[in-house]
Amino acid sequence: MLRRVHNLIIKEVIHFKRDWMLTLLILLVPALQLILMTRSTEQGITRQPVVILDQDHSRLSRRLVTALDNTEELWVRFQVQDPDKMRYLLDSGQAKLAVLIPAGFAQGVRDPRTSQQVQLIADGTNVVVASTIMGAASGVISHLAAQLASALGLIVPELVDFRTDIRFNPTLDYRAYSMPAQLGFITYQVALVVAALGLARERELGTLEQLMVSPLRPAELTLGKGVPAAVIGGLNFAVMWAISLTIFDVPMNGSPLLLALLTVPFLTAVVGWGLVLSAISRTQQQAILFVFVQAMVEITLSGFLVPVQSMPPLLQTLSHFVPLRHYLVIIRSIMLKGTPLSDLWPHVAALVALSLVTGLVGLRSVARRME
Amino acid sequence: MSLRRTAAIIRKEMLHIVRDPRNLFLVIVSPSFLLLLLVHLFSFEGGQFILAVLDQDRTNLSRSFVHSIGSDPNLSVAYWVDDYDAILPLLVGGKADTGLVIPPGFGARLQGRRTVTVQAILDGTDPFDASQASSILAAQADIFAAANAGGPAGHPAALAPLEVRTTTWYNVGMESLHSMVPALLAIVLIMPTLALTLALTREKESGTLEGLFATPVSGLEYTLGKLLTYVVMGLVSAGLALLVAVWWFKVPFRGSLLIYLLLSSTYYLACMGTAAVIASFVKSQQTAMFVVLIIFLVPSFFLSGLITPVSTASRAAALTSYSMPSTHFVEISRVVFLKGLGLAYLVRPTLALLVTGLGSLALALLFFKKKIA
Repeated sequence: MLRRVHNLIIKEVIHFKRDWMLTLLILLVPALQLILMTRSTEQGITRQPVVILDQDHSRLSRRLVTALDNTEELWVRFQVQDPDKMRYLLDSGQAKLAVLIPAGFAQGVRDPRTSQQVQLIADGTNVVVASTIMGAASGVISHLAAQLASALGLIVPELVDFRTDIRFNPTLDYRAYSMPAQLGFITYQVALVVAALGLARERELGTLEQLMVSPLRPAELTLGKGVPAAVIGGLNFAVMWAISLTIFDVPMNGSPLLLALLTVPFLTAVVGWGLVLSAISRTQQQAILFVFVQAMVEITLSGFLVPVQSMPPLLQTLSHFVPLRHYLVIIRSIMLKGTPLSDLWPHVAALVALSLVTGLVGLRSVARRME
Repeated sequence: MSLRRTAAIIRKEMLHIVRDPRNLFLVIVSPSFLLLLLVHLFSFEGGQFILAVLDQDRTNLSRSFVHSIGSDPNLSVAYWVDDYDAILPLLVGGKADTGLVIPPGFGARLQGRRTVTVQAILDGTDPFDASQASSILAAQADIFAAANAGGPAGHPAALAPLEVRTTTWYNVGMESLHSMVPALLAIVLIMPTLALTLALTREKESGTLEGLFATPVSGLEYTLGKLLTYVVMGLVSAGLALLVAVWWFKVPFRGSLLIYLLLSSTYYLACMGTAAVIASFVKSQQTAMFVVLIIFLVPSFFLSGLITPVSTASRAAALTSYSMPSTHFVEISRVVFLKGLGLAYLVRPTLALLVTGLGSLALALLFFKKKIA
């Protein structure tokens, strides 16, 4: 049996050698994609353009403007006098937030009987950006308010003060957060594509029938198709892992061996899924369509774009069936927190179960296809 | 170039699409289908944070502080620990998100109206979550302090010298659906481009392209005919997806429908032109799909400004994002839907799409000619 699987794998390698374009794409592009995507997203939500409409022109209003500009999130890009100009800057998207400081602001603040209002207008077209920058600006203003109030002897300065202590990623580096996830995602995508197209292609070109008349058994065909896909996924993972540790200095706080070991059930589950898709589709086109839908669902259910806790309950339940979701928890925890296996076992168990189920269903669908 | 021959190619392509239900689904229905599927995931709610508390004070005041913090809908106190060293393993194991350490003398200092420092240990793995947790905690502490301080400080709001009034334009209720649906349209409308790429490579793979070469059809007529067919069919699918957005998801559409459809066809031109260039190098449908997946679809989720804004940190980063047609269409779609503004505000993205579209079309024709010769 081993010899026949071995021969089938050699046949697959020859295929990859012949279609050098696809091979090159599969081996090089993922690493390139990782570098480009990381470089382009590591900024997070920072330096968003702000327009100031300062009708007060006082030292205090300038102090507020400087304080706003000193935050990570905001960048005071425009100072205008004309409300129409302010509206234009928001309309054209050149500014994402407007800050209106009313006339008489500095004087009013010193008068204990009145309260001065600073108005913030955010561009709500992207809610994530809007809430982040509004939060940052409100924080600056309440901090200033607290300083002013205690200087005037109005209220006791913050009675309960927080000393925050950030663990695992003390600088809140967005790259350290997103890179492990992208590593997992790109690996997933490559393994799925290679596995999903294998059988569909043979079938469309009519070569599956030749394999059917050979003494190959379904289990052997499944292994012969699945192993190369998993190996290609693993190779990609290794290259990208090395890139993220060396070029991008992403921390590796946990055991590299544990991470490598847990990548195996992940790849098995993904390849199993791919083989199921491959066996149920009649043409390559159908397989491609399935892969696209599956990839989009998996991106969104994985907790990469939207945290799993924020999803509606039904989708949270569904997300347990997505291998990538468990793997993202595992890779993030091991790389950033150094989590040991004993704390990861629910996710590991889920991955092993998923790989067994998809592997068996894959085998069954291949067997049915061969009948 | 002959109009009649181009029309013949268009008729042949239309037949291909209409005859095969899978093709019809891919070109016309799949964008709306994916929109329905994806949108439900983007109805954000605040994250839930699980707290592990170490209360070294054990007074009524410290307990009521924890109770007050736990009353926030986004925070829940799940663990009470007796030992400082017990907090970190809970964070490492992912059982808790935040540790809270209340120092001895908390109640006494508070009664003496002296500032107490409470330690919050945050999990920085997800930077967004960490800063969100930190601001929720700070807000809850202020509420508690205001309620328990007594004296004139008992009414800090009435005496605060400075207030913030916040407004959001274009999306007054900060509805995440209204923000995400127009942007997601840019992603789901990639599907007709995938269909075109497959159609172009299938013709090569199955050998029918050689049959076409033997006819008087020229490269220009062939490419234009294919492209026009898919742009038109794509517009039908864009219209359908638009209906889903407006009728099903109730997203306000404030701009002009004509301009939106016009700009959608420019978007298709840019995507499909690029796809035609790729297809002239690629031999199999398998490779074509991989390229579309890797060049269009996956980066569009992360680089187009869908959630995190387009990075301006470095020139290379900005260039990567702006070289993708979807980045421009995310902007166009949000501006037309939510801001209701016209072409005057969309000159830059429209020009970028037009230049990409026409430039890639010219390139595709150039490569095509070479191959015939």
